[in-house]
Amino acid sequence: MRRILTPLLAAGLLLAPAAHAENTLTPLHFQSQGPLGSLDIAAAQRGFLVYQSVCSGCHSLNALHYRDLEALGFTPDQAAGIASGIKLPDGTAATLDDTFKAPNLPAATFGGALPPDLSDITAERPHGLHYLFAYLTGFATAPADVTLLPGHYYNTAYPGNQPAMPPALKGNDVTYADGTVATTPQEAADVTTFLSWAADPNLTARHQIGLRAVIFLVFLTILAIATKRKIWREKA
Amino acid sequence: MSTDAKTCPVEAQLPCLAHLRAEYCAPSLAPGAPYLAALPALITGALLFLAASGLVLAVHYDPAHGFASLQYIAHNVNNGWLVRGFHATGTTLVFGAVFLLLFRSLYTRAYRAPGQLAWLISVKLFAFLLLTAYLGYVLTDGAVSYWSLTDAANAAQSLTGIPGLLGTWFFGGPAGPGTLARLLVFHAILALGAVALVFALRSAAKVLAPKATGADAVSFHPAYTAQYFAAFAVFALIFALLVFFAPHFGQNPLNASAANPLIIPAALTPPWYLRPVSAIASVFPGAYGGIFGVIAALAVLAATPWLDRSGPHGRPGTLYRILTVLLALDVLGLGLAYSCPSALSSILVTVTTVWYFLHFLVLTPLVTSLEAE
Repeated sequence: MRRILTPLLAAGLLLAPAAHAENTLTPLHFQSQGPLGSLDIAAAQRGFLVYQSVCSGCHSLNALHYRDLEALGFTPDQAAGIASGIKLPDGTAATLDDTFKAPNLPAATFGGALPPDLSDITAERPHGLHYLFAYLTGFATAPADVTLLPGHYYNTAYPGNQPAMPPALKGNDVTYADGTVATTPQEAADVTTFLSWAADPNLTARHQIGLRAVIFLVFLTILAIATKRKIWREKA
Repeated sequence: MSTDAKTCPVEAQLPCLAHLRAEYCAPSLAPGAPYLAALPALITGALLFLAASGLVLAVHYDPAHGFASLQYIAHNVNNGWLVRGFHATGTTLVFGAVFLLLFRSLYTRAYRAPGQLAWLISVKLFAFLLLTAYLGYVLTDGAVSYWSLTDAANAAQSLTGIPGLLGTWFFGGPAGPGTLARLLVFHAILALGAVALVFALRSAAKVLAPKATGADAVSFHPAYTAQYFAAFAVFALIFALLVFFAPHFGQNPLNASAANPLIIPAALTPPWYLRPVSAIASVFPGAYGGIFGVIAALAVLAATPWLDRSGPHGRPGTLYRILTVLLALDVLGLGLAYSCPSALSSILVTVTTVWYFLHFLVLTPLVTSLEAE
């Protein structure tokens, strides 16, 4: 078995750099999609940076604690470092056991309606990841025949086309440590990946356990049916 | 298998073992029962599984902050996300099995004498499960279920007389901060009731199982334990596929967001298993319309043994079977039409509801008496 696997593994490693440079934006693709999809941890880390730098000014993310960042590949020290850089309303620095800091702004700041909490935002619609990406990249100048409501913006993906949220991602809002160019679609895809992780943090584990469970149960089913047939044959 | 009971000292001292042996190891059953005969046993297993996963959830659930505590379970309790998935998907499987059980009883006319009592228990189990599942759904405290509960509690307030008193007692007045704590208790008690009912159903089904004597007869163990185990393996495989690869199967995605007392969702679509009944309830107007629709839908279902005019020995006819399949498609259509609200779907819901009652109240007596001749 090893004799077969070793060349395969070597070939896989040779091909891996090519896979790394894969363009996931055209056509748009998320690694977590599909029955065996898994979280793209690099994209989720970049997305966290976008959330922290751009989104968190207005949106809360109440379901997460700073300790949860360890699941994104940050070491406990790195996560503690991120938390200690956050100043809580009482003036103290955040710790690993604090929930993500909410903006705590009055609704009046936003024209009367608080921006939604982002904890489950990708779970709240069918095809939530693609919707969120289309929404974040869908801001445009309103067509001539559209009269915008005061304090609203034109968005091609939003139902009714007029969200109260201004276009937030303009490109180069952040500088990625891994050298990825921070274009608007890249930032949108990354923050979508991060928020899909927030809504479904156990996707990778779920798919891994599921694959094993299904393989086991397929064999159990075959075995159970064969046993049943054997027992009934002996009776007859 | 065939050791003599009289020579077994343990059985002499512990008579329940002898009962078990007589029940499961004595050759008294006819061979060749279908795999679907295992459905009551599968429902029992799935309900016990729901009770176990529900216990874990109940330990961490906080009815004063329903939505937040479910988020806490999913994020901060060890394997809480998996247990929540188990409970949601287990419910899907229980309802799948109960819908199939009801369909099979209708299709094979198993509801006729001497099976009326087993049929009545099945319908009662279905009613219990619907109510329990509705309460479980409102306990999720999402954007949709919150408003569904508010509507139901307000509707109960508007009733007068005994229904009004019962409604007020059940919900404790209009939906408020304490309502979920109350409904959590009812959810658990009704679930226990459903477990008791499914044991009664299995007892009734045991009497109805075809018997045999002599060389043909088989004992429950090993012949039917092997068959039940195969049925269980398929059931578990479907469960694993759903829980690991489609954990939100049949749920309204809008309900994944927190309840907002200022925003009413455009449509209060419940999980798939409540949709056919909700659709029928939505057709009837007025304060009593919803509850009347639910009771009428279940009552005509329960009355099937008496609506069937073919007598105990009439052969099942082809036309009746076609009608039963049409009824299944009709119930499927009810659920689907109710899932995506529009002008067309409300017409479809009305048509399918009319067909549902037409099937039981007109077509069943007519076709069965025609086919009996």
